[in-house]
Amino acid sequence: MTMPTPRERIIVIGGGIQGCAAACFLAKRGQQVTLIEKDHIGRHASGVNAGGVRRLGRDPCEIPLSLAAMDIWTSLDDEIGGHADAFHPCFYLKVALDEAGHALGLARVDSLRQAGFRHEVWLEDSDIRSRLPHLSGRTFGGILVEGDGWAVPWRIVQGFARAAVRHGATLVEDCRVLDLKRDGEGWQVNSSKGTFAADQVVNCAGAWAAALARRAGEPALPLSPHAPMLAVTDRRPPILPAVMGVLGHTLSLKQLDTGQFVIGGGVRARADLDKNRGEVAIPELASSMRLATTLFADIASTQIIRCWSGIEGYMPDNLPVIGRGRQPGLVHGFGFSAHGFQLGPAVGEALADLVMGRQPRVSLEAFDPRRFESAA
Amino acid sequence: MTAGSHYDLVIIGAGPAGMAAGIEASRGGLRVLILDDQPAPGGQVYRHISQNAVRREAVPYLGGDYWSGQALADAFAASSAELWSESRVWQITGDRQVFLSRHGAAQSVSAGAILIATGAMERPMPVRGWTLPGVMSVGAAQTMLKTAGSGADGAVFAGSGPLFYLTIWQYLQAGFAVRAVIDTAPAKMTLAQYWLALPALLQPGLLLKGLRWRAAIRRKTDYFVQATSVAITGEEQVTGLSFTDAGGKRQTIPAEHLFIHQGVVPNVSLTMASDLAHRWCSRQLCWHPRTDLFGESSVAGIFVAGDGMGIAGAAAAVSSGRLAARRIIARARGIALPMAPVWRLLKWRQAAIRPFLDSLFRPPDEWRVPQDDKAIVCRCEALTKADVAAAIALGVSGPNQLKGYCRAGMGRCQGRMCSLTIQKMIHDHGGQPEDKVGHLRIRPPIRPLTVGELAALANDDANA
Ligand SMILES: Cc1cc2nc3c(=O)[nH]c(=O)nc-3n(C[C@H](O)[C@H](O)[C@H](O)COP(=O)(O)OP(=O)(O)OC[C@H]3O[C@@H](n4cnc5c(N)ncnc54)[C@H](O)[C@@H]3O)c2cc1C
Repeated sequence: MTMPTPRERIIVIGGGIQGCAAACFLAKRGQQVTLIEKDHIGRHASGVNAGGVRRLGRDPCEIPLSLAAMDIWTSLDDEIGGHADAFHPCFYLKVALDEAGHALGLARVDSLRQAGFRHEVWLEDSDIRSRLPHLSGRTFGGILVEGDGWAVPWRIVQGFARAAVRHGATLVEDCRVLDLKRDGEGWQVNSSKGTFAADQVVNCAGAWAAALARRAGEPALPLSPHAPMLAVTDRRPPILPAVMGVLGHTLSLKQLDTGQFVIGGGVRARADLDKNRGEVAIPELASSMRLATTLFADIASTQIIRCWSGIEGYMPDNLPVIGRGRQPGLVHGFGFSAHGFQLGPAVGEALADLVMGRQPRVSLEAFDPRRFESAA
Repeated sequence: MTAGSHYDLVIIGAGPAGMAAGIEASRGGLRVLILDDQPAPGGQVYRHISQNAVRREAVPYLGGDYWSGQALADAFAASSAELWSESRVWQITGDRQVFLSRHGAAQSVSAGAILIATGAMERPMPVRGWTLPGVMSVGAAQTMLKTAGSGADGAVFAGSGPLFYLTIWQYLQAGFAVRAVIDTAPAKMTLAQYWLALPALLQPGLLLKGLRWRAAIRRKTDYFVQATSVAITGEEQVTGLSFTDAGGKRQTIPAEHLFIHQGVVPNVSLTMASDLAHRWCSRQLCWHPRTDLFGESSVAGIFVAGDGMGIAGAAAAVSSGRLAARRIIARARGIALPMAPVWRLLKWRQAAIRPFLDSLFRPPDEWRVPQDDKAIVCRCEALTKADVAAAIALGVSGPNQLKGYCRAGMGRCQGRMCSLTIQKMIHDHGGQPEDKVGHLRIRPPIRPLTVGELAALANDDANA
């Protein structure tokens, strides 16, 4: 096999979906990759998220990346083999529960059409009810995306990590990167397990990434950590073959193949980066619970068996940072603002492109780290 | 959200520690609320005591220790402490909000101080067949006896520990036939145990009681000592159990009802879910919340009392409840509580027998991790020892990481029934100390909470 690009030593920091996918694509393309994670693979946002694989409702600048990601999701076994069975495509439906939601939804579908996107379509109440006969009340219509679905997040992340290792990457867990120094043409990466040398570094350190970028000498980036929360119930007979939301609200509701409901969406608790944990404030989930019982009255009697949260980095414009740093040999991919799981596969590929100096599949302009500099 | 009412002290658990603290604190002028998920106060040891007291002649078998709780329950009933029974506390927060479900809806109260007095739970006993219908814990058998006066004739008991002997004795007193008792405690005392027995002599009453129970058991049942390699048999239902007796002979005993027990451990669901610091107690082989002498945890204003801070029994629970209450009163009045050495001595004196008991009834390894690969370890997800071992072998460093490999500990019990086993298995596999391996992360809600109950909290919101 011929190797068009030189084989470089790449260090990827962060064993979430972005870091694991980046490591996977880089290793697959022959780079010498070391993936460093301070805890274990998928310990934070990527392993504990709601697993929503949705194109629905994305910011227009994010749609091309999200569509590119979906291409990879639909042939995921090419990348991660057997772990791909953790993805369950179905459909995503965001319904309107009042006139305001109805107007909001129609306007959204319309504006996407004008921008040339046709994946979000409007459904009338009767069509919604024939798809979801267990719905309790009537809706005011809703937006549908066929083929969106949900995945068991930690299995997907593990799938990418193992694929990376299969392609020759080295995995170092329980290893915290302390700081990064320019060293000649490359980087010296100091960690709790010693020093690593690299030609290029990929910063996928999630909620910790902005602090790490500072340590590498990058300008300050306005990331704030929060801990979105989720609840899972006990098992019930299947009534919901889709992932659901409500227009104008942040609810996300799904029923797993175990029969358990996962309820959450948008409600955040405090994240403590030093203690490495997110809080859980169950009362804050009350309004999500109420929406869930409005959609399906039967859910009221199910028992919540566990609530948890995951630490996630948010940017002020809710768009991720994906791009080259100020300094040579440094690439950033973080700040996914609670919707980066679905994007993961395409982000991994884009990061690999950036590292290797190739043209990414979709424009990354909206995600440029420099976009905050002028504002400051 | 609407703020619930405010109390100076909210106590969770109306057992001996909780009741004693409630009495003391309300005498001290504090506004006290006590929450318990049972219909009546008493906790595990004095369960159903007020109801049983009015028909004392009908239930003489419960014994003097049980009735000694009546004075406490009476004093508690006479105190100004407010009791909410059938209230399930599912979360407390660092700013001392207490969230609970009651009458089908969730609600909250705020507290100047919180005392967690949620007692002990039985150590899970994962042997092959422990999940079969017909197998119950000795604690559950005792609960049936206390609340309904019911029991199973011809049952077999296997295990060891003070509660084990007490319950069998109560069973016999109540007139139930006990087919056999299989005692898994090593009968020969070691030299170290003779030494530990010295301070235990400070509590001769307890020692004598233990000897009396055992004598009665020896007299009235088929009694096997030093049993090892216990295995429960049956396919759909328990049919019996087999074990190796003191002489090394394999024995088989048929049983329709089998009660097993291997001691109790602090119930740390609430203390762990509330993020209090814990330490591994290698003497009792379980986790204890870290507290100061008065029971104050690592989070200021949140106290722990009773068996929930370490197993020490009912009398010590009463003292620790009182002591915590005095500290909370003193703090409310802005004064210091003097004489720490006195409290320390009292505390030691009341638990003098503990090191001896802990050593005598230390669960052997075979009760901590099943010997049989097919034994269920995680009941909620129906995972066997072999399933869990296979996942651990993939290179897991702690119980929380394991969840991502095999779902162990992800069911509705949140690891109450498997965390200690998993921790030991990871320790055995990788060799890191048990306190480093750690416990499964426990997250609220620690008590059943329905989607509808929680949704009700949002309704309050809208009306506020
Ligand atoms: C509760 C919840 C629900 C969500 N639901 C969805 C959803 O339904 N759909 C969706 O698309 N997205 C969802 N998200 C968002 C999604 O999970 C995240 O956007 C995505 O996982 C971010 O991936 P990441 O790799 O950037 O971050 P992470 O998964 O947090 O990975 C970063 C990793 O870097 C490691 N690290 C940090 N600093 C260092 C250091 N110095 N040295 C070594 N390692 C370090 C961390 O330990 C961590 O493992 C949700 C998030 C949460 C928390």
